[in-house]
Amino acid sequence: MSGGLLARLKSPLQQRADFSEVLADPWITLSAGEMAQRAVYLERDGRVLLGDLFELQGEPGGRIRFVGDLENGDRLGAGLKQGEVIVEGSVGSEAGLAMAGGALDITGDAGPRAGAAPLGYKRGMTGGELIVRGSAGAEAGASMRRGLLAIVGSAGDKAGFAMIAGTVIAFGSAGAESGLWSKRGSLIALGAILPPRTYAYACTYEPAFVRLMLTRLGLRYRLPVQQRHLTGLYRRYSGDLAELGKGEILEWVAQ
Amino acid sequence: MKIRGVFIEDTFAEAFTMRVARIVVTARSTRWVQAAALKLTGFATSVIGCKCEAGIERELPATETPDGRPGISVLLMTMSKDDLGKRLIERIGQTVLTCPTTACYDGLPQAPDRVRVGSALRFFGDGFQTSKIVGGERFWRIPVMEGEFLVQEKFGMLEGVGGGNFLILARSVDAALAAAEAAVDSMTSELGIMLPFPGGVVRSGSKVGARTVKSMIASTNDAFCPTLRAITDSALPEGVNSVLEIVIDGVDASAVTAAMRRGIDAACRDGVVAISAGNFGGKLGPHHFYLRKIMHGTVV
Repeated sequence: MSGGLLARLKSPLQQRADFSEVLADPWITLSAGEMAQRAVYLERDGRVLLGDLFELQGEPGGRIRFVGDLENGDRLGAGLKQGEVIVEGSVGSEAGLAMAGGALDITGDAGPRAGAAPLGYKRGMTGGELIVRGSAGAEAGASMRRGLLAIVGSAGDKAGFAMIAGTVIAFGSAGAESGLWSKRGSLIALGAILPPRTYAYACTYEPAFVRLMLTRLGLRYRLPVQQRHLTGLYRRYSGDLAELGKGEILEWVAQ
Repeated sequence: MKIRGVFIEDTFAEAFTMRVARIVVTARSTRWVQAAALKLTGFATSVIGCKCEAGIERELPATETPDGRPGISVLLMTMSKDDLGKRLIERIGQTVLTCPTTACYDGLPQAPDRVRVGSALRFFGDGFQTSKIVGGERFWRIPVMEGEFLVQEKFGMLEGVGGGNFLILARSVDAALAAAEAAVDSMTSELGIMLPFPGGVVRSGSKVGARTVKSMIASTNDAFCPTLRAITDSALPEGVNSVLEIVIDGVDASAVTAAMRRGIDAACRDGVVAISAGNFGGKLGPHHFYLRKIMHGTVV
């Protein structure tokens, strides 16, 4: 199996860049030369090619690795449907926006609205796995419909805001109003969280699916899952009761 | 052909193509996973009377299960695709769902044929059930009084082999039991097989049909019954006073072959006169396991 493509940033981005078209289907079959022709939109200079900003090499294999500081890079992995995307560094806002499949693995931080819905749209992520090994900005996973968003650091305010379904896991703390307005879905907080007042405490128990998910995340992505998170108890809050009320916040508690 | 003085008859075991699922049950402790697995595999010795055959394949350490808890893998086999789904739903619903702290996973994730299980059991949740997709597979969370039961939506299904067997012809019941126990011990935890009968051993091998009640599909294998030696067409060599059978079901013919080789080798010990096998003349089952071919190279 090919190691996939490598995209190395030539020089730091001096202006914000919109990567929303870079990983549109069928990117997994494209050669380095073909990927280099994908459009990136710069805030001031407008349309440029990916090859203008990155050195691309390797063979297509369903995998691409971006190397470089992409904090000014927005919407990377937007609408992603398949393949594995690794970002060695941090990214800007709306990474994995409305992604539908595949895996987006960000080793650094993600800006606001990772995995969320595009503005004006109802649905955020509808599938796939979005891994943020650093921290995520506000509204991570907002309006997500399906899929998994795992944040190893802390999650900003309104994580899982208005979720329709799916799962958000925050290894660190989750900010204010996380889970607010959710219809269904699970917000799993391994760190501190203050459930909205429109959530109601149900019980403290051992959800087997959390063990299943965390075990898999540890094996598949080598995330720092602690034994205490596997064997611990979780406080279940049902909500948002001002909405459909079929969602939940699972707050890890020491035994 | 002899192995340590035990005669290996020039015959074969005749086995059938069956549908097989591997069920991985986990629980908070070995106590509860064993409790669930024992019930799950109960009354499942033969499709003749139990609708399915099931047995424990092996115990799984926590490091080998999907959720990092102690587990047991069970093989469950039926004669048809439709039956497999029905039996899985019945048995998992009645014996695993009901058992404290358990979860239930598909143990054949690579099998292209899938049978719906969790998607039927979810209705026990009466609308309160929810699903999660983990690694591309859907799981159902069914709320129960103890907490929550987690079950995979679909289970893989393979074409397996049911009815691999060999007969231990011994001078006494003590010798037959010792040989059978040694054979079972040697095959226990062999990947890809299970022994559906009590303790892995059958004392009542059967023949097809019956002399007296025509509606019966199986009756005692009189040719191998020592008490009938004088009044039936006996297949027993002189000196044989007890016969035990080991039945082996597996995920494929090679797994059954490997287990038979191990089991027969272990059964060849003092007090055993011969090793034979049950067949129907080769007309019923497509899988023929020739004892001497299987044991080739192990002659002592």
